[in-house]
Amino acid sequence: MAAGRIPGQRWYTPYLFAIPALVLFGVFFAWPAITAIQLSFLEYDVVSQPVFVGLENFVTIVGDGRFWTALLNSLLFLVGMFPLLVVIPLLLAVLVNQKLPGIRTFRMLYYLPVVTSMVAVGVAWEYVFHQQGVLNWLLTGAGILDRPIQYLLDPFWALPALVLVEGWKSMGFYMMIYLAGLQTIPANLYEAARVDGAGAWHRLRHITVPLMVPYIAVAVTVEMLDAMQAFTSIYVMTKGGPQDATLTLGYYIWSAAFEHYEMGYASAMGLVLWVLMIAMAILNYRLTRGRTVMP
Amino acid sequence: MSLPMKLRRAGMYILLTAIALVFVGPFLILLSAGLKPAGQAVFSFPPDIIPRPPVLDWAIEAWTAIPFPTYLLNSVIYVGVTVPLYIIVSALCAYPLALMSFRGRNLIFFAILSTMFLPGEVMLIPRFLVVSQLGMADTFAGVILPGVLSAFGIFLLRQTFAGVPREVVDAARTDGCHELRIFWHVMLPAARPTLAILGIFGFISVWNSFIWPLVVLKDSAKYPVALGIAYLAGITGTDVRSLAAGTIISIIPVVVIFMIMQRHILEGMRGAVKG
Repeated sequence: MAAGRIPGQRWYTPYLFAIPALVLFGVFFAWPAITAIQLSFLEYDVVSQPVFVGLENFVTIVGDGRFWTALLNSLLFLVGMFPLLVVIPLLLAVLVNQKLPGIRTFRMLYYLPVVTSMVAVGVAWEYVFHQQGVLNWLLTGAGILDRPIQYLLDPFWALPALVLVEGWKSMGFYMMIYLAGLQTIPANLYEAARVDGAGAWHRLRHITVPLMVPYIAVAVTVEMLDAMQAFTSIYVMTKGGPQDATLTLGYYIWSAAFEHYEMGYASAMGLVLWVLMIAMAILNYRLTRGRTVMP
Repeated sequence: MSLPMKLRRAGMYILLTAIALVFVGPFLILLSAGLKPAGQAVFSFPPDIIPRPPVLDWAIEAWTAIPFPTYLLNSVIYVGVTVPLYIIVSALCAYPLALMSFRGRNLIFFAILSTMFLPGEVMLIPRFLVVSQLGMADTFAGVILPGVLSAFGIFLLRQTFAGVPREVVDAARTDGCHELRIFWHVMLPAARPTLAILGIFGFISVWNSFIWPLVVLKDSAKYPVALGIAYLAGITGTDVRSLAAGTIISIIPVVVIFMIMQRHILEGMRGAVKG
């Protein structure tokens, strides 16, 4: 990109353009980021003066059973959402990448949950999960269940139910990431494979998936960050219950900070979450780097 | 078209429609519950989806049970202020990043990209404290300002500006155009499709925003509509029908905008992923 020095342009012109963004960056990102690190070494309940407690918050984390429950639940979210957000959307993308009349309408319908608020989605799914709701009718009708389940009140089913809702809401988004990738694959690759007698499964396995590796890598990274931050669905549907079955790190941090006013402790947990997320992003980058296939 | 081809195509449409039902079904169930008359059960085996007859009683009840018009208006204000600010701040910052060389250009770009790696939940607490220290807790400004800076917007516009033919910019510069004039009269019009995409995504994200307003606002009169729905759901004794009707009302604006602009959204995602 050639961006030479422009005659007549004053040295400070570029900075003037960037000032609004830089001020917002300083006030709402840099300053809070530094505050977050400071807070995690303090005991602070908003009302009284903050007290420096050294590493005490981190020591408390290690011995806090609810923290480990929350971490485990967050990891279960991550694992549970993997097939919903990384695998199924790829199949959906292949499906809506066909040249058929009206295919745009189907893409739009699959994308609809992405544009609606998580609150509305949570409310809608409470109707689906109702004891006398559609899901119980389908599953008992098909003989999979003997009797209806109250999914959101059941310590075993509550977490899978929330994973399903979060995954359902975002599938369309991941489908579009993959669709963008699919449209870069030259059609003649498929033609050649078809001439060689390769079936649909073979074409998916040996052409689509290898060429989609960079997009799968993007999907995996975004999925991990999304899953580790799940909050609104939990707030709307279960409040972390029953018996902490859906207590995730995101919800626990929020609850510690804004229900119990343990700002320091909540920040320390936030810092741990932050480090975890960066570590995952780096790991994922390391694992997928170099496997990028250039078409 | 041969018969097997026709059958194959019909099968494909059946599959596509079945999947569409999975994505639209929960909204249809909500719509049905919000329109059913009092005498018709909301839940039953088998599901009884068609309201007989459809009634607006529950929509009216939801509309009055909480200050619905206020919440809708608040959401319009949040969107109406945040989105233009977000677009102009992003464009101003993206312009020198794309077209000028200056000391610290890479530093600024990477600082802004780094914000993508600050998870919302981690920033929630310190940002709330900063906003409180600035006296913006429980204000519209406190809800709006932290949402104005977006790495996504700056990134996308930088790509777009860098793609504008150099000759166009150079010609304007040799004509003695002021940088601000070039920005306003050359670059912004050239970037119109990208601006439209940012506008739609901004609209959707601000309309649906939940966790930040929840933390900043104490006064329920300043709630955006998504918070209003959570509030309605939390009121004990809210009828399942009026909750459904209220929820449907809350998503109508964003769904309508999406239907109208869907082509831009889907094209825009393609551009963003490629960029």
